[in-house]
Amino acid sequence: MTVAPKTGSRPRPLSVENFSYAYPRGGGLALEGISLEIPEGEFVLLAGGSGSGKTTLLRAACGLVPHFHGGTIGGSVLVSGRSAAEGGPGEMADLVGLVAQDPETQVVSTTVRSELDLPLRFRGQGAPARARAIEEVALALGIPHLLDRQVTTLSGGELQRVALAAALVTRPPLLLLDEPTSQLDPVAGDELIGLLRRLNEEWGVSVLMAEHRLERVLPSADRVVVMERGRIAFDGSPRGFQEYALASDPSLAAPAARVFSQAGADRLPLGVREARAELAGLDVPADGTPSGAPDRAPGNGRALSCERLWVELDDGLERVEALRSVDLRIDPGEKVALMGRNGAGKSTLLKAAAGLVGPVSGRITARGGMALLTQDPSDYLVRDSVRAELPGPEGEAALAAAGFDGDLDADPRDLSGGQRQRVALAIALAGRMETERLPDLVGLDEPTRGMDRGLKEGLAELADRLADRGAAVVIATHDVEFAASFADRVVLLGEGEVIADGPAGEVLSGGWYFTTEVARIFGVEGVIGVDEGALLLSGMLSAGEPG
Amino acid sequence: MTGLRRSPLAYLPRKGPLQSAGPLAASLYLGGFLVAGLLAPEPLVALAAALGAAIAGIGAGAWRAVRFSLGLGLGIALVLTLVNAVASDRGATVLARLGEWPVLGSVQVTAEAVAAGAMTGLRAVAVMVVAAVWSACVDPDRVLARMHRFGGRTALTATLVSRFLPLAAADRARLGEAAGLRGPAASPVTRAAMARRLLEGSLDRSVEVAATLELRGYSLPGAPSAPRPQPSRHDRRFLVCGVALLAIVLAALATGDGSLIAYPEVRWQAGPTTVVLVVSLVFAGLVTWPGAGRTRDRRP
Repeated sequence: MTVAPKTGSRPRPLSVENFSYAYPRGGGLALEGISLEIPEGEFVLLAGGSGSGKTTLLRAACGLVPHFHGGTIGGSVLVSGRSAAEGGPGEMADLVGLVAQDPETQVVSTTVRSELDLPLRFRGQGAPARARAIEEVALALGIPHLLDRQVTTLSGGELQRVALAAALVTRPPLLLLDEPTSQLDPVAGDELIGLLRRLNEEWGVSVLMAEHRLERVLPSADRVVVMERGRIAFDGSPRGFQEYALASDPSLAAPAARVFSQAGADRLPLGVREARAELAGLDVPADGTPSGAPDRAPGNGRALSCERLWVELDDGLERVEALRSVDLRIDPGEKVALMGRNGAGKSTLLKAAAGLVGPVSGRITARGGMALLTQDPSDYLVRDSVRAELPGPEGEAALAAAGFDGDLDADPRDLSGGQRQRVALAIALAGRMETERLPDLVGLDEPTRGMDRGLKEGLAELADRLADRGAAVVIATHDVEFAASFADRVVLLGEGEVIADGPAGEVLSGGWYFTTEVARIFGVEGVIGVDEGALLLSGMLSAGEPG
Repeated sequence: MTGLRRSPLAYLPRKGPLQSAGPLAASLYLGGFLVAGLLAPEPLVALAAALGAAIAGIGAGAWRAVRFSLGLGLGIALVLTLVNAVASDRGATVLARLGEWPVLGSVQVTAEAVAAGAMTGLRAVAVMVVAAVWSACVDPDRVLARMHRFGGRTALTATLVSRFLPLAAADRARLGEAAGLRGPAASPVTRAAMARRLLEGSLDRSVEVAATLELRGYSLPGAPSAPRPQPSRHDRRFLVCGVALLAIVLAALATGDGSLIAYPEVRWQAGPTTVVLVVSLVFAGLVTWPGAGRTRDRRP
């Protein structure tokens, strides 16, 4: 048997040369002087703050920019030797697979099976080959049970996995991924990264992946490219990136590196494995100081009270039990992270609390009122200006409570993601506050999608402020690090039932998936955050020094 | 009470005759109602088109789509009637004088303006019911395959034809949910604001879906057309019914024996062809009902 040379003289999967781009609505250059080469089989992580140009670069690499978005370009983008700007996405289809941020716009068929079948049909593959490819990609992404489901009945995370499967099913030589784990639960997120690494190693698929939750991806990446204001600010190895990030923008660095840097360690680990290796030989204490609220007696559930709550969802064909015998009490002033796998019932619980869906049995009450922000803040924005959305003193009070400090005459849809979210929250709060008092319960459903760490810190501060003013803040999230940074208490749902409920330091340590990177490094109950980890490591390093 | 997760306009893969039929046959059948409703020369025909399409939808199990479209359509019809009544000063039969209005000047409501507005509204109701039934009962995957087969190389056109209504319906469900979550002091979501936002949002999303379709390989150079879909035993029934309806509509328009002339005075006439058309439209709706078209077993 002969083996073909790996690359030979074949053109590179992606070659960008001095590329610049401006969107048609103005606002300056979204990309400026980008030069980037991705050879076959390389796994490149694209990092950078929100609005730094990551998404635009991915769009350019598959021809969507300028073909679908208009605007002006300079320089060139070649995909396997073909010009993306000239050919457009239609001609790039057999060279790249794209998974964009919003999974709802990435499904074009009615069932999951037909969604996966469609790209294979377009390529003229026969029925046996299609059946095999569908089965394999479904198994790889853990979605065989979804194959015959209607796409309209899937949760956001399930849709994300289907979109990924549809992009992977034809095994394109270059995969472009725009925050593919943003809506995935930690289990699915880790599985996805493992799968991408396997495709990359075994099939030579090149991967260019934009991501904010770097701790997941960094150990798997061959190279990191950092974008800043439309330019490439760093291009190098993951280890070099850690040093760059700590020196220039610590919010970009992964928790493991921040812990070791804060503790004054010489070597910065790339992930949990390296960090644990560094700890070998040091005495790790059995337990630490728990994060989050201490154990407390059950409250009176004035903000939210669920008693044996059962909720069914009817999709027109069948009824699905979304919540099963949920007992839960939340008091005003608590900060609660609602976690669980995709489809575990998190959004349904929030919607039931807001009265959007009702129980089939049991009881749910939010006696002190509730303001709910659903997954897409844009759904709340229907007027031409912030002022028109929220008129009068009550509108201004709501904007102040939500922490909005932008232009009142701006079109809400032109605002940044964080500002848009605050306006939408203010819309939900407006008129529900008695003078300065908030409703007893404020719910946010997956608010961190597309947010960099700076914006997430802003959101955590907002949650603090709302809780200080007496509201219970309940945030449904898949982002473990964010949950650890804002929550006192974590409620973990599984298959519609509460499977864990306790202080954040307890629930987010000791597990495999629903646990922070710091907790996985130290394995000490209660140590989940960077500051606690750094404190613990400092002590360990001091104790380990020769006396 | 249970929560509904699906838009009423989303396609449901039931085993009814209309869902089993090929997209061409089903579209031609519903097209008969659409053309009748759109070109209705007088109100009975528009009403019959809406009623026939509603009967067809209910027979196919799409009662939620029918209820939704009737609610929306009647609301729009009411708005059209009111706007025309106030904005048009044509007509001889004055029902009310509303005095001087800013911009509009002297406003009077005439029976003729009300009739003209109501006629347009009825046409809108018929179109909306037909569109809703089509969206809920005709498999968009098969529509997409058919468009690809017929040489469609524009993903945006394919998306607008096969996905726009379901996308708009899903958007409307989400926007409606968010509207219900607004605080009492936020500006209320008016129908006009919602409609504008819905149209803008759905078009944007259609463009994004079209981009996805392109990247899936819809217009790959040399991409083979999707294979011919499996024929259905119901196809002939719907094809014949659709062609017959279209023929009767054209005949009714050609004979001109049914009409509503609003101005200067309301004149409404309905002749025998119109009556045939009205009866045909209503009975054509029954074609989708289970058991319709089944040959009776004549064995002893």
